[in-house]
Amino acid sequence: MIANNYAIAGTATSDLGRTGMDSLALLEQAMRRAVKDAGLKIADVDGLICRGPDDVYTHHQRMGARLGINARYSTSLGNGGASQILAVITAAMAIDAGLCSTVVCGYGRNSWSRTHARDTARTAMGTMAEEQLPTEFAPEYGWFGAPATHALGARRHMFEYGTTREHFAHVAMSFREHALRNPDAVMKKPMSLEDYFEQRMIVEPYGLFDCSLESDGAGAVVVTSAKRARHLRQPPAYIKGFGTFNNLSGWLLDDHMFKTAAIESGKTAFAMAHLTPKDVDTAQIYDCFTGMVIAQLEDYGFCPKGEGGPFVQSGALKIGGVLPTNTSGGQLSEAHVEGMLQIVEGVRQLRHQYPAERQVPGAEIALVSGHGGNTVCHSTLILGRSA
Amino acid sequence: MSGVGMNDRGLLPIPVPSIETQAFWDAAQERRLVMPKCSNCGAYRFPPSVACHVCESEDVAWVEVSGRGKVFSFVVYRRAYRSAFKDKLPYVLAIIELEEGPRIPSNVIGIPVDDVVCEMPVTVVFEEVRDGFLIPKFTPRS
Repeated sequence: MIANNYAIAGTATSDLGRTGMDSLALLEQAMRRAVKDAGLKIADVDGLICRGPDDVYTHHQRMGARLGINARYSTSLGNGGASQILAVITAAMAIDAGLCSTVVCGYGRNSWSRTHARDTARTAMGTMAEEQLPTEFAPEYGWFGAPATHALGARRHMFEYGTTREHFAHVAMSFREHALRNPDAVMKKPMSLEDYFEQRMIVEPYGLFDCSLESDGAGAVVVTSAKRARHLRQPPAYIKGFGTFNNLSGWLLDDHMFKTAAIESGKTAFAMAHLTPKDVDTAQIYDCFTGMVIAQLEDYGFCPKGEGGPFVQSGALKIGGVLPTNTSGGQLSEAHVEGMLQIVEGVRQLRHQYPAERQVPGAEIALVSGHGGNTVCHSTLILGRSA
Repeated sequence: MSGVGMNDRGLLPIPVPSIETQAFWDAAQERRLVMPKCSNCGAYRFPPSVACHVCESEDVAWVEVSGRGKVFSFVVYRRAYRSAFKDKLPYVLAIIELEEGPRIPSNVIGIPVDDVVCEMPVTVVFEEVRDGFLIPKFTPRS
């Protein structure tokens, strides 16, 4: 039995924004801070789970070398943005199997520095290695980048349910409001509906504020047994349930573009936790693009399918709303670390560590989502303040 | 997303086929749209795979399809992320659902971009990228 017997005992972020740092250095910084946050030393860590950048071979070896440790269990994952929650899941399973006792999990990227820090870097296309770009059934049709792939899903969601760009705007504006209360967040200016509509189109129906940030950052957590976590420095965030589901047959198939793998992943997680969407006090949702937040909120059952647009427009996602979501600003306004900061924020909310303006009052249950590989892979984590 | 990339050589990209997709592009040069069809149960599939997703038979043939379909979803590019596409702006990238079932990416042409809608019926046309290389695109069907 894994549910309630394992916990996140430490958590941290690296410096965020425009750091000029290497992605491995950012992750090392976050991992060291997370271990310290737990009241542990690096020598206490005997497990390490991390992920890419995708062009770094056996990434966990590089991180272990930086931390100066050997590990009883370590690996690098390959589920894109779903990997970060999957690392926590895998850590709990590895400890449960007796392979190790204290696992540091994390992810870091330096999207800003990689593309802006040096003149030579400016010519690099985003963060994907050239060899990984498709050579047919995409470039000849002018199909470039994740925004277009996700905008296809957004368009179909609009067609199916009458979702509008104004609905998307309310996702972006809600998270921006949260970012303004987070001194570490990259985005510092308020966003009005007019501001949203004034931005340039990236690929229609997505404009600039529908897209997550290009920023540097890393996050890390320490997973250990609940029994041990209770004796460490911080209040544990108990792992109450988790789930995964991967629509491997493809983004273009069936209804995958607007009914995501969060449906099955969420069911598994809620069943394990013996909880329902109504029990969730705060959600930390993978917000690569605004429309994906709306689809996931529906898919998790926070509102009926197709009603995500009006749901977010009602102010539901704001602190003080019915489902305070991405309370640190999310990938749209805090920093885009492929879901890792969503885990960090879920833990912090359950510790009740924030000043009142940032704190979800009395938060007991947090749901965290992550997806990757253009939203094919999905992972869900349900954390609780008590076991 | 940061604009012109290092693989931008100023030319419109011509598809680089794999061993498995060569038949698709060869047929396109003859203005024929073909799809892999299971010779055992008749199910279409795309992209190519070793065996049928329905009956697991490995007997497969590339057969010509009707070329008719509908727009499942689409996006509009009003900025060029490769310089070669500047002259194409604005353009529609769409996912076309063929009558036979498979969905493929393509462009919808021959219609103002603001008039494209989901579920719009379309039919295949073949357009030269450059150097005589043809690729299938789609245009509205009445």
